[in-house]
Amino acid sequence: MRQFLLFVFALLIPCFGLWTVANAPIGLPAIGIAGSLLSNWFPDVVNALSASGPEAILMTEFGEKAGQLIPLSQADYRLGFQINTRVLSYSLPFYTALHFATQRKTYLADYLWGVLILYVLFICGLVCLCLKTLMVNVGAPFFNQAGVFVPNAEVIAISYQFSVLIVPTLAPAILWLSQSKDSPLLQGLFVRTVDR
Amino acid sequence: MLRFVTTFLLILLALFTLELLAPVQEHVIVPFTAMLARLSAVLILPFDSSVVAYGKILQFKDSGFAVSIEAGCNGVEATIVLIAAICAFPASWRARAIAIALGFLAIQVLNIVRIISLFYLGDWNMEYFSWIHLYLWPALIMLDVLVVFIVYLRYLSTQAKPLETTVG
Repeated sequence: MRQFLLFVFALLIPCFGLWTVANAPIGLPAIGIAGSLLSNWFPDVVNALSASGPEAILMTEFGEKAGQLIPLSQADYRLGFQINTRVLSYSLPFYTALHFATQRKTYLADYLWGVLILYVLFICGLVCLCLKTLMVNVGAPFFNQAGVFVPNAEVIAISYQFSVLIVPTLAPAILWLSQSKDSPLLQGLFVRTVDR
Repeated sequence: MLRFVTTFLLILLALFTLELLAPVQEHVIVPFTAMLARLSAVLILPFDSSVVAYGKILQFKDSGFAVSIEAGCNGVEATIVLIAAICAFPASWRARAIAIALGFLAIQVLNIVRIISLFYLGDWNMEYFSWIHLYLWPALIMLDVLVVFIVYLRYLSTQAKPLETTVG
């Protein structure tokens, strides 16, 4: 346990450092997929989700004048909202530190599976984050789209809270537990207790 | 393992939804968060008289810099994760209750350290404050939960061994 903790602390800072440097390219595929999903789901509300350095910009089909939403045809510019993708993608350096701090037989295959699963959750989280942004900032025109299924406010609120507050730290921990149950650190603990 | 993860996620979702209900927020979460702010101030005051706490806000009297302890900063979510993990695991209710109480204490001690460290960090440099607040500290708090849970598993494992010997 002591060795594991020592390695985790030793790896956390370089992993988070690398992620800070590389988080713009890391986020690009997720922004592309989430953007394509949202613009097809809400074609009258979402124009695009585009990358802007480490952030994403959610461009809408609306303009703004004196704090009021107006149709794009009457506006001087398109209304967009900044989305911080890093509040979701920090699951990746956290998982990396946990994974490589644990003594195991094979490292790479499990790690790639873990990253893939976390990346899918990152995309889902990004969609939830954008839905919450649209709910709060666009409001009625977002909820009242004709012929489009829009989740209700409570579902959006809970999925946003869950995606941002719980998933980025919990998902790496669960993945690590399930992949490390045969490691010297956890060997036998789950077998003796859960499966007895 | 699959049964554990499924039960864990169901309990987690139920507790998390419960936490978001308005009466729970009003009567439990907000007073608890305010208590954390006051406790942080009580711990800081003997060393630094320039700090005041009101409601869930901690503030430096001289620089005016203040932090507001919000949902997600009070360690409640981490505690919920730990409670869900402990309850999803087969053990006696006594062992579960003790583990939850000690785990809650371990999370809150680290959370107080987090609040105080962020308070001073924010007064010094906002860029570092944001980075450590949003990304590094949540990971450290979850690591704390993970360590508490592993220690609990090890405790259960040592308790189970003599029983196996006797039965076998």
